[in-house]
Amino acid sequence: MSLTELRPAARQPAPPPPPGQAKHWLYRFDTKTIPYIFISPFFILFAIFGVFPLIFNGIVALRNWRLDDPTLTGWAGFANFSRLLSDEDFWNALGNTFGIFILSTVPQLLIALIIANLLNRKLRGNTYWRIGILLPYLTPVVASTLVFAIFFARDNGLANWFLSLVGFGQEAPLDWRAQKWSAWIAIAAMVNWKWIGYNALLYLSAMQAIPRDVYEAAAVDGASPWRQLWKITVPMIQPVVVFTVILSTIGGLQLFNEPMMFDENPQSADGGSAHQFQTIAQLIYKVGWKDLDLGYAAAMSWALFLIILIVAGINTLLTKRIGGDR
Amino acid sequence: MRRTVRAAVAGAAASLLIAGCSGQSLEGNDDKSSATGGQTTLKVAFWGDMGLDALKAKYEKEHPNVKIVLNTGEFNAQHEDLQKKLVAGSGAPDISAVDEGFIVQFRNQGDKFVNLLDKGGADFQSKYLDWKWKASMSADGKQIGLGTDVGGLAMCYRSDLFEKAGLPKDRDAVSKLWPSWDKFIEVGKQYTKATGKKFVDSGTNMFNPVLAQQPVGFYNDQEQLVMDGGPKVAFDVSMKTIDAGISANLVSFQANWNTGFKKDQFAALACPAWMLGHIQETAPDQKGKWDIAAIPGGGGNWGGSWWTIPSQGKNIDAAADFVKWMVQPEQQIEVFKTVGNLPSQPALYKDPAVLDYKKEFMSNAPTGQIFAATAENLKPQYLGKKNGPTRVAVENVIRRVQQGGLKSDAAWAEAVKQAEKVAKTGKS
Repeated sequence: MSLTELRPAARQPAPPPPPGQAKHWLYRFDTKTIPYIFISPFFILFAIFGVFPLIFNGIVALRNWRLDDPTLTGWAGFANFSRLLSDEDFWNALGNTFGIFILSTVPQLLIALIIANLLNRKLRGNTYWRIGILLPYLTPVVASTLVFAIFFARDNGLANWFLSLVGFGQEAPLDWRAQKWSAWIAIAAMVNWKWIGYNALLYLSAMQAIPRDVYEAAAVDGASPWRQLWKITVPMIQPVVVFTVILSTIGGLQLFNEPMMFDENPQSADGGSAHQFQTIAQLIYKVGWKDLDLGYAAAMSWALFLIILIVAGINTLLTKRIGGDR
Repeated sequence: MRRTVRAAVAGAAASLLIAGCSGQSLEGNDDKSSATGGQTTLKVAFWGDMGLDALKAKYEKEHPNVKIVLNTGEFNAQHEDLQKKLVAGSGAPDISAVDEGFIVQFRNQGDKFVNLLDKGGADFQSKYLDWKWKASMSADGKQIGLGTDVGGLAMCYRSDLFEKAGLPKDRDAVSKLWPSWDKFIEVGKQYTKATGKKFVDSGTNMFNPVLAQQPVGFYNDQEQLVMDGGPKVAFDVSMKTIDAGISANLVSFQANWNTGFKKDQFAALACPAWMLGHIQETAPDQKGKWDIAAIPGGGGNWGGSWWTIPSQGKNIDAAADFVKWMVQPEQQIEVFKTVGNLPSQPALYKDPAVLDYKKEFMSNAPTGQIFAATAENLKPQYLGKKNGPTRVAVENVIRRVQQGGLKSDAAWAEAVKQAEKVAKTGKS
């Protein structure tokens, strides 16, 4: 208290002189409005490219809008949505999307975790490995999918050549696109290939924040590396795990490029001769831009949006229970 | 947040890609400067190779103030793109090729195209095959396009592979082998037995030519789906082919099909005139190994196009001049010689340049004579508004049989179901 009293009053900065009317306005503008202007570009862009399409899409979903028959227009109410419920193509696509999603997300995150754990040790050529696993992520998805489409070709495909080495498909080579299970595996392989490295790096960065002594203590207590991974590492990087699970959910449910280019006739957007691997995103594209039925496609987009919200919510809850309660 | 970045990067990459694909189509009419400095730019959209490169150079030389931009793309994509731009009211090319499979769809929107009768097109009526002229007329009598080529229909075969299999090599002898499709399948069985290789590329490429020979296709002229007529006949032939084990079960016009050419995976292919250009481009080293015989069941037409001018264009008159120039005999013959597309003006079939022409690539087969004979005696089929999507749906069922996912005796019911589904959409 006494110290403050000792401070000479004259050294305090003089309060700014009361501004004139115009200056006062400028001052207020500078402190109150300018910050908003500075951050506005994001919100303006977001409004144009984020909010507006979302709302517009919602409006279109309630209307009839056919490009091939411009006379068919006007409000449709919820007709597009009720049509969804009885559309077997939609349910088939939903099943495919979830099938591929599970086949890709679960192994993807597990392998990423294990790779991150391996990279977290003292290795020779650390940077080399870390950049190496990120390379698939840097490859343009169209390019890599084209290569995979050839890899999984029925005749002269590399995958079938490997299978033939171990004695499968000698008399009739496996047609990867013919059956749901084989097509799903092929597409999931493309997704896994691309995203494992990316997720591994995310996990790795979180792991490096875990103090070493925790592991040392565990090792002294006799915990095996595997046990350390599940009892120490995973609970301690749990926020990142939640993050990757949500992202994989969003990405997995919107899967488009891979099934599109995996098809032998990509132009048709059919996802195989019997829609074996047609995903929802692909079906939306087909309904909108092949069948030219924009209203119905918009309704599907909204349905997909809701499904993603629900699934991402469920996954978050599930993931939060990993370690969180322990 | 990293996801946002990665989404943004992906988005940017995608838009680059899209811009790369459609860059040319964007600059066409949106570019108001297309007439600046006395220069007129004409955007021409088509698919594959229609032999326009040489024509473009020639026309630009004769008309220094006209610049022609060629935009070739994928067959279905070009038609879909045109449809979207017509509805949008801008962005369409100055000139667009339209195939017979889509001509009904577009002639029903006759007001969106320049009526070529107003641009001196009426002079051409007498020159065209009658059905070709009528096919591009709208219901209220507007002519939306001038015909360029017709498909005709013949059977291309690998004479070298035929010889190895102990079959005749000469085109007349080969034609005699297969008066009917059943006989054709028999020959296929012989071939497969002798060589262990497949005979035809796919069940769908049996379905399409047989369907093209039927008096009525998927739809009758009242736009009703009639699966029990022509489609049933064609479907049965394709099922027999697959069951006989002579089909390589490839998907036409896709990468594996092109590989199939190079790897001798099939020895016969139903070919309209425009297919010659495709074979030549895909397997240039098979020069002299292909030949052309008659198609089983005699005659038929598959494909063929028109040049249309969307009325939203800024340079309608210049476009009309170019189209009228392109369909002149001289140019039509040049296209015929470079890519093989058969003109749709019967007078040219008598022209020595077509009549005596021998295609070197196809073992010097007289392609002009062969295809002209099939096109001239043709009873054209009405192709409904939904012909394209219906064909895709039925082809998918055939592919399922090829892949083993569907038994051939259950396939017809499924094909009818899928076709009806397509026919129903949009009418609700």
